[in-house]
Formats: sequence, structure tokens, C-alpha cells
Amino acid sequence: MGYRLTIEPLGQAVEVEEGQTMLDACLRRGVWLPHACCHGLCGTCKVQVAQGEVEHGNASPFALMDFERAEGYALACVATLHDDAVIEADVDEDPDALYLPLEDRQGEVVRLEDLTPTIKGIWLRPDRPVEFQAGQYLNLYLPGIEGPRAFSMANGPDDELLELHVRRVRDGVATGWLHEHLKVGDRLHMTTPMGRFFVRKSAQRPVILLAGGSGLSSPKSMLADLLAEDYPHEIWLFQGARDRTELYFASHFEELAQQHPQFHYIPVLSNLTADDPWTGARGFVHEELKRRFSHDNGATADFRGNQAYLCGPPPMIEACIATLMQGRLFEHDIFTEKFLSAADATAAARRSPLFRTL
Amino acid sequence: MNKPAFDVQATNAASRKAAPRKLSLKERYNLMTGDLGWETTYQPMDKVFPYDQFEGIKIHNWEGWQDPFRLTMDAYWKFQGEKERKLYAIIDAFQQNNAQFNVTDARYINALKLFFQGVSPLEYAASRGYALAGRNLRGVGARVACQMQAIDELRHAQTQIHTISHYNKFFSGLHENSYMFDRLWYLSVPKSFFEDAMSAGPFEFVTAISFGFEYVLTNLLFMPFMSGAAFNGDMATVTFGFSAQSDESRHMTLGLEIVKFLLEQDPDNLPIVQHWIDKWFWRGYRLLALVAMMMDYMLPKRVMSWSEAWEIYFEKNGGALFEDLARYGIRLPKYHEVASKEKGHLSHQTWATFYNYTHATAMHTWIPEPHEMDWLSAKYPDTFDKYYRPRFEYWDSLAKQDKRWFNPGLPMLCQTCQIPMLFTDVGSDPTRVVSRESVYRGTKYHFCSDGCKDVFDYEPEKYVQAYLPVNQIFQGNCGGSSLSDVVNWCHVEPADSGDFAQSEDRANWNRWTHADAGSEA
Repeated sequence: MGYRLTIEPLGQAVEVEEGQTMLDACLRRGVWLPHACCHGLCGTCKVQVAQGEVEHGNASPFALMDFERAEGYALACVATLHDDAVIEADVDEDPDALYLPLEDRQGEVVRLEDLTPTIKGIWLRPDRPVEFQAGQYLNLYLPGIEGPRAFSMANGPDDELLELHVRRVRDGVATGWLHEHLKVGDRLHMTTPMGRFFVRKSAQRPVILLAGGSGLSSPKSMLADLLAEDYPHEIWLFQGARDRTELYFASHFEELAQQHPQFHYIPVLSNLTADDPWTGARGFVHEELKRRFSHDNGATADFRGNQAYLCGPPPMIEACIATLMQGRLFEHDIFTEKFLSAADATAAARRSPLFRTL
Repeated sequence: MNKPAFDVQATNAASRKAAPRKLSLKERYNLMTGDLGWETTYQPMDKVFPYDQFEGIKIHNWEGWQDPFRLTMDAYWKFQGEKERKLYAIIDAFQQNNAQFNVTDARYINALKLFFQGVSPLEYAASRGYALAGRNLRGVGARVACQMQAIDELRHAQTQIHTISHYNKFFSGLHENSYMFDRLWYLSVPKSFFEDAMSAGPFEFVTAISFGFEYVLTNLLFMPFMSGAAFNGDMATVTFGFSAQSDESRHMTLGLEIVKFLLEQDPDNLPIVQHWIDKWFWRGYRLLALVAMMMDYMLPKRVMSWSEAWEIYFEKNGGALFEDLARYGIRLPKYHEVASKEKGHLSHQTWATFYNYTHATAMHTWIPEPHEMDWLSAKYPDTFDKYYRPRFEYWDSLAKQDKRWFNPGLPMLCQTCQIPMLFTDVGSDPTRVVSRESVYRGTKYHFCSDGCKDVFDYEPEKYVQAYLPVNQIFQGNCGGSSLSDVVNWCHVEPADSGDFAQSEDRANWNRWTHADAGSEA
């Protein structure tokens, strides 16, 4: 028998199991609360309990002072419930978040296709419809492999089939399995949807989608979603790839660009020989991005008034963030989903606390 | 399994219509503080806030200020009240147990003297500075943040005075820190640093102190004193350190917020902020020469060497910060590479200078013990044995012949940082003193480094007004013409100065703790 936890100011309620922490219950139901250490030490997840009884668990006396306990504060990452409760958390209401509940699904592989020499497309038919916001990801469980792997949905939210793009990671156990052993007809377990990478449509601003490698999946989904509802602002898609063999879905996007005058598709290839007949943009995504938004022949760029959504390898993300910021677009209007392999994660560890989400 | 969740959402949507939504903490705070920022009508805003434009900083929208505090006064008093109760309970216990005798040895107290003479008055100066900056910034979020920090800093100064006053009953050099801070030559280094910031505009002040001092350099300034206290058994100092540190995380956040805010408001702010970062990095780094000497020479039990601290806290952590700032187009501060080159020399040169002039200070110096010299050799394999050990060993031999070396002259001071011209050219010849000069309106001014010369050349009219203690002594403005006249005028008593070996501190310590009972028997 669980309890009901209501999170203000969102006004959303979630079920909390006996012994389950408030933070765990919230995150599993798609309600994001600020948190960091998850062990009751740092105090980042401090919430005010407006109603109900909580058990403080392992909250450190330095992170949660005596008077704060007396006044009904608790650390969500270690506190459990004895009763239905209402908490107030320091969260901004995100008018675009649907707070879709996390659910378990089975999916049957119905199609496999090598999209490029390194990226495989996987199409799955879920046993029940999957609700998600374009840009979100799912966790995929693979037989005999410990822990789930995250992949963004590349299909539009209304499509019947789930579409995933899997780049083969060198020595990667999971991606190696998906590339070599997955067959049409296999059934996979997954939990979905996850993540906060979705278009903030309520801002009503032009959208710049920046994709590199298999990071195309979220932008492709976002684009399908925006075009399906005839989003009335300009939409740019910059797609970076090493060469023509790694550029995929190009004709699909070119067709969309012809049908929808507000959509601009810009493929950028980085690894071409000088005599290559390619007539499109050359170099890196951030370079072409700067050129396209420059009023002074590429010396400076101006991105003010836009929103940018970035998905791709960390060096591309980093270069694009710097280009956007030097063109006057800041953290508030830049969104990323970081996809980290084990190697990327250690490289990305060197960060200062200057930025909250980037 | 999933059914209840949909039900919950449905009932939730229904109940949302009925009851008005509660405000978030952020919204509530914004509403509460927002009214503090009204447009004046009796006088134009530019007259009410006359100092927030001459620096060239352009602010288009003060709403873009992300207030990192979000603390109401009511909550603030409660937090600080609990911190004070905890601190004073520990100070009481410390005093009742005569815990001042638990420190490693009486030499450690000199680190405390340096802190109390040179750093505690900065806490008070910071309180004044933030009150002033808060008054002069027209954005309400920034104003409230500065006001709270002004109160924090006053609390720090007060708790430090209360804590250290107990040591004043037993040791020299702790009796009149406000006079000493205003008059003693080496304390003009921290004093002029802060007054430089306070006499700048409000944006430069917050960039200099909140960002440069509190964020970039705090782990090299405040923290070494506190970890030094912890290693050397000074629990009272450790406790006020913890108490202050719980505010410090807020101040550091403010420092980051300010720089982000300025850089995001207008592209024209970038070169101004970069100049301030360059200037205040170098000013702060020069001030840290005092901390470097404390870490390597004044702690009987050492935490880490200055060189190691610089590598961890500036080269590594600071490097990560500047990589992030590079997204805005900010680069590493000018002359950061000079600071890194000097890390093997800084503490030795500074301590040697204090050893020379210790008869004109309110603390004691000494030649490191043999095992301490070995520690220095190990930590500074490229520099200590080659350049500094021979000098200390020579001075030690003089002292053993009752000819302890005191420098009878007065040193030339750098016009900008006010440190004696003691730093050498570590790049080409570490035995040659660096000397730079600029001529301004027919007068020649001297500098210890290119960094200090740059600061002067950018605003000469400001720095020609610097109050340089040595120059003032020669002009007869400091109590008289003899050393004892000047020292008296600084409120330094005879017991405060000189070599530790001959000090009252040492004799008392031995008497009270029976430290040399064995050798006397």
C-alpha cells in the first residue's frame, strides 16, 4: 500500500511505495526535483513538507539543521513517507513539460536497416502505445547485458513504430550486440519516456536544431512533431557528418524542406577531400552555424531571439555552445541531451559550477 | 500498475481548477523583493544611482539577474542564529579548557597573527564595500545580495575578533589589529588591495571581490588558514572557519552570477570584464604572497605546499572555470603563466623578506628547523636547495654567533601592490630582482612586475595617490625618524617583534607547557 505525494507548485501527485524515497518516486514519475548527492549530505533537494509525516532517513545534521526539521523541511533524496503528504519544492513550473509517467513496455523488432556504415536503424512495435514528448529517450534492456542503455526516439510522437538510431561504439558491448545479434522478431524490454530534452514551444521562438552523428534522432523527432502541428516559426536543422556515407536521411529532410517553407535543412560535411564534388557546406557544424547567422560575413553571429537544441558528440556540443554564447544566446535558451559513453564521461568531468544545465 | 497514475493525474487536473495554484519559492521570493525596486519620481534614477554607468558597463534588463540567495531576512536570521549558537558554545568550551595550549607550538600563533592583522580587517572592509556597492547598484536583486553579504562579512569580522581575543590574553601581536592594519607597512598590502576595489565603481567592486577574491582565489586565501588551524590543533579558529564557510558558498555563487550577468547583458561588457579579471587576478595573486609564506614557513604542521595548492586550486580548478568562461569569449587572466612560474620561489622570497624586517613587524620569524628545511627541499626540488637553503643556513650561522641579521634599511615598495620589490625574474635569472618603472607627469614610479605596472599604466591617476608606508616614513608622517618611533606609532609593542627564539611568546609557552623541562633538567 503506497502513499500519495503532491508536489507544489506543480500540483502534480505521485504514488510513493513504503520505504521509497520521495526523490526516487518523483523522478520515476517524471517530476524533476533539484538533487545532487542523493545521500542526504548536500542539501540540494531540500523541500518543505506542508502536510503529512515524513521519516528523515539519513539526512546529515549539517545539511538539514535542527530548526529546519522543526519547521518541517526534509531532504527528498533520503526522506520516506508515513502518510499521504504535500511538499513544496524549489522547481520552476515548466509549461512545456507534460510530466508523462515512466512506464514499462515490450517492443518487437519489425525492421532493421544500416543507415550508415556505423549507425543502425531499429524500428520497434510496442505492445501498447508509448506516450512521449519529441526529444525524449527510452531505456532499453538487452539480454545478458547489465543495466539499461538510453536511446532517443527518432520518430514523431504520433507514429506507430518506435525508431532508434544506434551508433556502434568501439568495444561497446551493448551497441555491438545491437549491431550484430539483433534480429527482426526479437522482443526487447524498455522503460519510457525519460529526459527533459523537448522543444519549449510555449516560448514561440524560431528553433535551431543541431545534430551530429547518431545525435540526429532527437532532432528528427522534434522536427516531425513541429511540422505536424505546423509550428509558425522558422526551424533550422544543421546535420553534421564526416562524409557522405555518414550522412543519413538527407533526402527525407530535403523533401520536408521543399514542402515546408519555414524549415531549412543544412547538412555539413567535415572530412572531404578538396576535389570532392559536394556542393553543400563544409567544415564543422558550429562553423556553418556561425556563417548562417552572421550579418558581417562570418566575423560575428547573432542568435538572439532563437532557441537552440543540441544533440551529438561532446566536442561538437561544446563548440556549438561557445558559438551560440558568443552570438548572444545563453543558457536559458540552449538545450542539450548529453549522451555519454564511459570514455566521454571521464573527459567531461572537468567542469566548473558556472553553468547549471550546460 | 499504470492505471493509478492516470487516475492521480486526472483528479489532480480537476483539483487544480478548484484551488488557485501555490506560488513557487522563486516566484514568492521575486514578489517579496520585487517591490523594493521602484522607479523614483522626485529625482531621476540616474541621479539616485550616479555611479553605475561611468564604468561603461551596459545593463539592459535587471530582470536577468538570477538571484542566487533567495533567502528572506527572516530565514537568514534563523540560519545565522543557529550558527552563532554553535560557534559560541565551542569558543566557551575552548576557553574553559585552556585549549590555546593544544596548538602544535607557539610558532603557529604567528600564522594566527597574520590572519588577524591582515585578513580579519578585510572582512570588515568587505562589509563596508558591499554596503556601498549595494547602495550604488540600481537592480534590486543585486542590491539585496550585496546587503546580505555586507551583514555576513560583519559577522565574520566580529566572530573572528571574539574568537581570537582569547589568544590575546596569552600571546603578543594580537592586541590592536585596527591600528596595525592602518599603519604597518606589510598590512598596507591587503589594505590597499581592498581600498583599490572599494574606490572603483560598483561593478568593478563586485567583479573584483565576489568573483576574483571570493570565487577564484578563496581556496588559496581563507582556506589555507583554516586547514592550517585544523592541522595545528586550533579548534577555535577551525570553528569560526566552518561558520564563515557556510556563508562562503553563497558568496561564491554570487561571484559566478555577477560575471554571467555582466557578460550576457551586452557584448560591450566583455572587454571591460576581461580587463577586470586580468587586473584583479594579478592584484589577488600578489596579495597571496603572504599566504604562500604562511603555508610553507609558519605552520609547524604543514597541510600542503604553496606550489601544490597553486596547482590544485588555480591551475586545475581555475582552469576548469576558465574553460567554461571561454564560451563567453573570456580567456585566462593575463600573466597567469608568470604566477605559475613563480610558484617555486614565492614563499621563500617572502619569508626571507620578513626575516630581514621582523624587527619592524608585529610577529616573529625564525629559520626553519633542519627537518623543515628537508620538507622544503622535497616540495621544491628545483629551487629550495639551489637558491634559498644556503641563505637561511648562512643567517642561521650568524644567529648562532649572536649576530642575528636584521636589515636596518627600508625597502622600496611597488607602487601598485605595495609589497617590497622582492620578486625576482624566475624565468631567466632567479637571483635578479624584477624592477619596472613608469614615468607619469614627471615622476618616476616603481613596480615589482609587469602585472603591477600594467595596472598602474591603465589608471595612473588613481595609483599615484597610493599611500606607501615607506615613503610616508621618510616624509616624517609616521611618528618620528627612528625605528622605535615608527613602530610605536603603529601600536606595535617591543614584545610583538623580533626573532621567535628571543620572544616572550616562546619563553611563556615553554613555562606554561613545560615544553623544555627535559632539556633544562
